[in-house]
Amino acid sequence: MHPNDTTLNDYVDGSLGTIEQSSVDQHLATCASCQQIVADLRDILRTAGELVLREPPIRSWSRLERAITMEPAVRRQTTGASSSPAEAGRYGSYRTWLAAAAALVLATAVGIRYMPLGRSDAPSTSSGGAAAAITADATAQSVESELRQAEGHYENAIRGLEAIANSERSELDPRTAATLQKNLAVIDQAISESRAAVRSQPASDPAQQSLIEGFKNKIGLLQDTVALINEMRKGNEAGAARIASGLKQKGT
Amino acid sequence: MRLTAPFVIAGLAMVAWPALAQDNDHRIVLRDLVRTLRSGAYQGRNTGPEQTERFSRKLKIGRDGRFSLANIAGDIVITGGPGDEISIEAVKRTRGDKSELARVQITVDEHPGRVDVRTEGEQNRTDRNRRMDHVSVDYTVTVPASVVVDVRSVSGSVKVTGVHGALRAETVSGNVTTADTPRLETARTVSGDVSITGAAADGDLTAASVSGNVTAKGLKARGLDLGSVSGDIIVSDVTCERLGAKSVSGNVEYAGAIVKTGRYEINSHSGTVRLLLASPAGFELNANSFSGSIRSELPLTIGGDAARRDGNTSRGRRDAANSHSMRATFGDGSATLVVRTFSGDIIIAKR
Amino acid sequence: MTVDLVARCQAGDVEAFETLYRQYSARIYTLASRMAGSAEDGEDLLQEIFLQAYRKLGSFNGDSALGTWLYRLALNHCLDYVRSRQAKMNKLTETLDAETSFRPTARRETPIARLDLERAVERLPEGCREAFVLHDVEGFGHKEVADLLGIAEGTSKSQVFKARLKLRAFLRGT
Repeated sequence: MHPNDTTLNDYVDGSLGTIEQSSVDQHLATCASCQQIVADLRDILRTAGELVLREPPIRSWSRLERAITMEPAVRRQTTGASSSPAEAGRYGSYRTWLAAAAALVLATAVGIRYMPLGRSDAPSTSSGGAAAAITADATAQSVESELRQAEGHYENAIRGLEAIANSERSELDPRTAATLQKNLAVIDQAISESRAAVRSQPASDPAQQSLIEGFKNKIGLLQDTVALINEMRKGNEAGAARIASGLKQKGT
Repeated sequence: MRLTAPFVIAGLAMVAWPALAQDNDHRIVLRDLVRTLRSGAYQGRNTGPEQTERFSRKLKIGRDGRFSLANIAGDIVITGGPGDEISIEAVKRTRGDKSELARVQITVDEHPGRVDVRTEGEQNRTDRNRRMDHVSVDYTVTVPASVVVDVRSVSGSVKVTGVHGALRAETVSGNVTTADTPRLETARTVSGDVSITGAAADGDLTAASVSGNVTAKGLKARGLDLGSVSGDIIVSDVTCERLGAKSVSGNVEYAGAIVKTGRYEINSHSGTVRLLLASPAGFELNANSFSGSIRSELPLTIGGDAARRDGNTSRGRRDAANSHSMRATFGDGSATLVVRTFSGDIIIAKR
Repeated sequence: MTVDLVARCQAGDVEAFETLYRQYSARIYTLASRMAGSAEDGEDLLQEIFLQAYRKLGSFNGDSALGTWLYRLALNHCLDYVRSRQAKMNKLTETLDAETSFRPTARRETPIARLDLERAVERLPEGCREAFVLHDVEGFGHKEVADLLGIAEGTSKSQVFKARLKLRAFLRGT
């Protein structure tokens, strides 16, 4: 009589009472299949304990840094030009803008990882045709609805960033604004191709991945645009503040 | 696609131009100044001979010092060298009236162990149409090689050579070029090319453009993060443990090393991805495209671990190698190559 | 040294915060990726966690070590994320579970490779994955896991055991 899975797991964890443990020991002495289970479990536990740390992607810090520099709440010391003395207090509406922008900077649709439902769904060819068809149908439907949900989340983030970018775009010179716009169009083109591909082949992993990638690229570029506008504005205000103080001094 | 913005975001305040002076008198003066500058700006611009004004300054700084330079329009060249002195040479230029030059100031802030240089001018504020090429300032700076450098410009190129301290070099519309900068951390531009040689010995490096190319050559780095939207990414003679190389419509070419247990991720939507490998360490390849083709000149074992996992089901076999998807192993499979495109081709070739 | 670092972070020194990031990001990213089941989500979570840390550092009072404080913040954030996603995904995941078929990645004689285990962990269904990560990878006891996940201690145990058996099936094909 083989010990059940729970008992074997407890055994491997060393949490069985003495009597139970020795009874399992005895069983294992003669049972190859239970021995195998125990060996596998031990293997898993040992490897689990040896799993190494993974380094995050390199770009993570620069994204984070950008988000932080848009944080209005904490006084910041940057390595660059000293912060404008006028920054604190005077620019109330600017701070609201910053706060909203900071919230959106990280709006990279966490939790919208597109579950590639189409990927592991394929039943082996030996299962009944009808069953396979039903599964395929349900899969296609759930893929569609997941897609719509994912798009919805991304699009909210994108709209928010676009609104900021558009309203403040006069901070940028026309050539740069045009370059950014042109490249946003490149990304939009990629998104629409990917979308068409997903609609035509919902189960295709490359199609799904490229659509998500497209959204992320778009958000990334919009974030860069917003960050750039922010820096221009800071530069403007620093210059403006100096002028204002300069004028005061001259007493004109 | 046009960015139309009929959106109202709750809680987002539309920013009104902030009041610069509480005092009414000053506001009036400012307004008049703005008007004057604006009207003046339309006269004599780009039509006269070039007027220049030189600026020169030397400052002492420790070998652990930090140097920052923020420019608006104009080219910047920074060179690292021996000694403990920063030498700044700048030339203001305009094709307008010579009086324009006085409106642009070069500000140098000196602190213990730190020097911050800035180009400032009223045009920052008043010239909402950003005619930044009105007055430009070109900088030529030498710093002690070990100094930490942070250089930013808006419209103009940035070139840094021989700076061995941590380095960030950014511009908006202009090229960024660095050479012999072992601790380069970031090199970015929006419309311009980024070109890096001989950099980043142990660290991570980010190089990005939006519309320009990113070229990395002759480097040894721990991690490389290279990106463009419509430009190409070209990597040659490079050794790194981690790579992220991505473009949307540009091509990506990697002619670098593959090191044991390294992780290399390459992505393009419609561009071609080309890997040119010369005796790479073993790797596991996961290549996928929606409509692009995938081919390899290297002898790959189709399948390998990943395919074995998804098995001998017909889907598994189909996925392991069809024209749009390839999971294969080369050698001991210790490194990981993940290559994805949408419509671009993927080519793995021998170098 | 840490005291000074914390003080500088609290004062808004971005460079000091970068030092903090460099020190702990791998740990947090690894935890987040494993809990969330994917590297992409791990990256997004990493961002959110550190931004939250940046905002909350002002209230860090040195009661615990900085690393512990950060880890707790990260863990809570990951759990919130997983729970909110789980509510949405529950139905679908269970259906899928039954459908997947796979072959072993390694023959019996060879020990399980770390990379293979990592990949297998990512495939675990939610519920048992978090329990496994917290108990067998991060080393929390069942009582602690139960507290963290808001479940009974017995449930923690059964989830961990279920995860192990699934992993065994993924890796050894039985």
